Amino acid sequence: MNWNLFLTELVSGVTHGSVYALIALGYSMVYGILKLLNFAHGDIYMVGSFIGFGLITVFGGAEALSTSIWLLLFLMFFCAMLGGGLLGVLIERFAYRRLRNAPRIAPLITALGVSFFLENAALLVLGAQYQSYNTFAWKGGELWRKGFTLPSGVHVALAQIIVVIGAIVLMVFLTLFVQRTQLGKAMRATSFDREAAAMMGIDVDRVIVATFFIGSALAGAAGVFNGLAYQQVWPYMGFQAGLYAFIAAVVGGIGNLPGAVVGGLVIGLAQAFSIGYISSTFSDAIVFAVLIVVMVVRPSGVLGRAAVQKV
Amino acid sequence: MLRRVGLVAIVAAAAALAIVAAAAARPASPAAATVSCSKPVQIGMMAPITGPVSSIGDDQLHWAEFAVSRWNANKAHKVKLKLVQGDTQLQASLASTVAQSFASNGSLMGVIGPAGSDEVQAAGPILMKAGLAFASGSATRVSLTGGAFKGYFFRDVPNDGVQGPTDATYMTSKLGVKAGDTVMVVDDQESYSTGLADIVGPALTAKGITVDRESVSQKATDFSALVAKITSSVKVVFLPFQVASEAQLFAQQAQAQGKTAVIFGSDGTFDSKNFTAGNYVSFFAPDVTTIVADSSTVAAFNQQYPGGTSPFGAPNYVLVQMYGVAATAACKAGGGKLSRTSLRKAFATVSLPVTILGTPIKFNAAGDLAGAEFHIFKIVNGKYQTVQ
Amino acid sequence: MAGGPDTPSVPEPSEGQSPRIGVDEWVASVEGRRDRGSGVTGYVRSELERVPRPAFYLAFGIAAALLPAFTSNGYVIRVGFNTLLYMLLALGLNIVVGYAGLLDLGYVAFYGFGAYGYAMLASPKFGIHWDTLAVIPVVVVATAILGFLVALPSRRLVGDYLAIVTLFFGQLFVTVYTNGERMSFLGFTRSYDVTGGPNGIPNVDNFNVFGHKIESLQAYFYVALVMFLAVLAAVYLVERSRTGRAWMSLREDPLAAELMGMPVNRLKLVAFAAGAAIAGLTGTVFAALNTAVFSADFDVPTLIIIYVILILGGAGTLGGVILGALVVNVSLEVLRTPGHATWVFYTLIVGTLVARLRPWRWLAAVVAGTIGLGFAVHAIVAATWSAGVDGQPAVGGILGSGLRHWVVLPASPRTIGNVAFIGLVFAVLLLTMLRGALRKVALIPTLYLTAFVWENRLVVEPSITRLILIGVILIVLMNARPQGLLGSQRVEIV
Repeated sequence: MNWNLFLTELVSGVTHGSVYALIALGYSMVYGILKLLNFAHGDIYMVGSFIGFGLITVFGGAEALSTSIWLLLFLMFFCAMLGGGLLGVLIERFAYRRLRNAPRIAPLITALGVSFFLENAALLVLGAQYQSYNTFAWKGGELWRKGFTLPSGVHVALAQIIVVIGAIVLMVFLTLFVQRTQLGKAMRATSFDREAAAMMGIDVDRVIVATFFIGSALAGAAGVFNGLAYQQVWPYMGFQAGLYAFIAAVVGGIGNLPGAVVGGLVIGLAQAFSIGYISSTFSDAIVFAVLIVVMVVRPSGVLGRAAVQKV
Repeated sequence: MLRRVGLVAIVAAAAALAIVAAAAARPASPAAATVSCSKPVQIGMMAPITGPVSSIGDDQLHWAEFAVSRWNANKAHKVKLKLVQGDTQLQASLASTVAQSFASNGSLMGVIGPAGSDEVQAAGPILMKAGLAFASGSATRVSLTGGAFKGYFFRDVPNDGVQGPTDATYMTSKLGVKAGDTVMVVDDQESYSTGLADIVGPALTAKGITVDRESVSQKATDFSALVAKITSSVKVVFLPFQVASEAQLFAQQAQAQGKTAVIFGSDGTFDSKNFTAGNYVSFFAPDVTTIVADSSTVAAFNQQYPGGTSPFGAPNYVLVQMYGVAATAACKAGGGKLSRTSLRKAFATVSLPVTILGTPIKFNAAGDLAGAEFHIFKIVNGKYQTVQ
Repeated sequence: MAGGPDTPSVPEPSEGQSPRIGVDEWVASVEGRRDRGSGVTGYVRSELERVPRPAFYLAFGIAAALLPAFTSNGYVIRVGFNTLLYMLLALGLNIVVGYAGLLDLGYVAFYGFGAYGYAMLASPKFGIHWDTLAVIPVVVVATAILGFLVALPSRRLVGDYLAIVTLFFGQLFVTVYTNGERMSFLGFTRSYDVTGGPNGIPNVDNFNVFGHKIESLQAYFYVALVMFLAVLAAVYLVERSRTGRAWMSLREDPLAAELMGMPVNRLKLVAFAAGAAIAGLTGTVFAALNTAVFSADFDVPTLIIIYVILILGGAGTLGGVILGALVVNVSLEVLRTPGHATWVFYTLIVGTLVARLRPWRWLAAVVAGTIGLGFAVHAIVAATWSAGVDGQPAVGGILGSGLRHWVVLPASPRTIGNVAFIGLVFAVLLLTMLRGALRKVALIPTLYLTAFVWENRLVVEPSITRLILIGVILIVLMNARPQGLLGSQRVEIV
């Protein structure tokens, strides 16, 4: 048994899956409350990634960072999450608010319009070239040299550890927030039944704004994580990521937060293992085929509960 | 219900108006119709300006626009140029539609592009029928020249049939890859990449070398799963990618995983700013950014279009220059009048001894770059050094 | 019940008879009056209302048939052909999404399957060159069977889960066909080149009917038109049949439909198959005209356009399909040229102002204020910073020279244009939050900023601007009219 290959694929899958999981969380949160598939979510992730890249440039560029890595990381996360959250709130306020009670397909098209707008505005303003976080050059490659080594020689780099631990920390915060705070309880109530929540005195508008803020902040953070581990930033990066996040959210059971995490990890691992063991050419096809089987076997998603249909 | 009816009535009226407006449109221009050279000669540009491959098309467009503005600013040039853009998003059906719009535009005399080999295949017949010359700076499929499009299709980059064997030979002769070794060839599922891989792979297999053919989508952002498959018997990893930063990421992840295989990039990855972590890269011309004579041009370009560039850009600068020279010659021969046919014929014979690419550019009879040969560069400490 | 030509009008009280207690005749008939509309428009509307819908489709068919007679501009005919193809695709999707209410995100895969199927049966690829009248039925039936197979596992899935599975299928299709030049059965057999991979299948035959080749663009336009009208007629008849009504009941409330005894699963299968068949048919025409098929044409961007056409026009209506395709596809093409795009842009702005800014005094004030502000700013900038006004406007002629003195055109507009663009987005958002007189006053600098951004940044990159404008139009239109242009308002039971 080639443990080296197995463990490398495992590490790769978990890292990538964590990024997917974070984006999928935001997707699931918004869907749970509004039953809206927010196709612009991937583009918020892209904007967060660019915000992080902008900060790197402000601090001298990847090769000549003028501050410590940890301070830079903290600032990047803070700004990307704040920026992403605010962008999400703006989008909700101006594009989705009027469509709360419309048939669900109308906000879908609006979300597509927002996605077109964001992608091409980024293309216009930021240019079409790929930019790179180039974390391999930060302070001589500290982020990739440091780390620990698994038994069969597989090196897990600090950058990958930051991504996985960071994602776990954010998810823990989110879970605590949703389970323990008032606003979290209000969110859960609203996603269960919006009208009843309003009748209970919950300010539904405020809850929705908070949901969008948190979900989009997570997407922004995911953008920075992605840049950290995978370097590349460019205007259309949100398209593919948004697609995968959508798949992850649904496969895990849409509207279900732990399910989104599970879905993200499933996709990341399935991709890594199918590339490593079966075929890199058809890895996408294999992942999709596997997921079709999962959906057919469990039609409400892996962790989803079959919704009781109220008549 | 009533408003719906009203809307349909409005639509019917609008359709009638559209028909009347369309009726006033110019008929399609035959190839021999002439325009006066006193007005700027319109050259169409087909490129994937938006869409997933926009990093290439945007760059090509910017270099072409830059060339046009410099050409027009030069007082010695009597015949001015004007660029008309057509966004194809690298989709063949959109390329056909854009080609049709160029064909029907009576003032448009020549085309730069399409960028993708698929698009040339799809749009070629339409452009040929309209008598337009079309010259690409990036469509490298071998079968496109010397065949059905002879006399109409040109390219100022060498095709895969030149680059493939050069790279394969270098690997076996200079990099010490012998029979029994493995070479991993990774393509990015675009036709540029698979075309090159399909030539290099069999060339290596013919010498007894095992070829591990892998494939990643161009949209992939993580190669660590694939890098893990590089075993110790893999001597060289060949990356005919279209996007330099993806090759860079692959090389960086390979290094991070401690792989010692030699990373060899093709001309799509030739970017001295973005692809610095690999070991070798091939290109048919010297690095634009290192040619001293070009430094002012490159600096002016970077000032006007900050954000970086790609190796697919500069060939389009040269194509604009060639169209300018051809238009001047055709106008002189035609007594102040230019037609698509005359421009096409003049274009086929243009020869530029000095270009921004550092090599002379001239077409051979098939429309390919005459005298094309590939150089191999070694990447040492992030800098490119010519080794062949 | 809203009043209309069929509702009996409320009788006026006759002379001398005392009014009935509790009934206000005028109030009771107000619904009828409102719906009828007032004056000329109302009369025209009510008369048009009486015209049966097929007459409109016929009128459209005649208008479209006359198009090639009026123009020989190949581009216009090509755009017309593309629009007809999109109409066909939207018609098929309308059955799945509009009638049966199933969210199918893999629809474009059937389109690709039809195109590739035609290419495989009528090209040098496998050496098969069947006659068109043989190929088309085979491809259509094969695509319908594929639709049926895709729908089979989807019976248990509802809503977004169905969407996901169909999305998977669509992506599976693209992946398989993009890499289909090296397909081997799980690594056991040698590699076969089935689909040509990224190189696609070139040199596909044109349509070949009884030995008569169809080669010209005009001929394909007519072929597509005839196909569209035929399918339209078929769908119109189906809409009025039991199956059509059963689909609509499935869309409105699947649970109630099942309780009413509708064979829900069978309806889903048939809907999918019918939509797939139409997509397969469209694929054959597409392949025949383009004489080459590539997998990139059948990916998510095409799917997005079909969906936008369908929803914008109004899902569930046939007229909406026609209108949506015309609006979306023609806009996309018209906006390609900077000159046309400028006219459309300014016309939209002026049109919105005229339509929404009342009373007329305010409109005149805003327009005058914008023009005045423009000249003032231009004069100030010209006096203080000469590089600020050196640029060239994109359009020529009178409008161009007027613009040159009104809009500030810096010599190197890129960075300033970008900053101004972001500023404009925020300004517009702020504008929507203001009310009353403050909003009208704030319009003036916003309008000037819009012109500035347009001339300096947007019109210089028409390909990108085109998509930005489409995005904005989508957002605005869906917010203003969520049911689509010709749709009717529905309440969705989630």
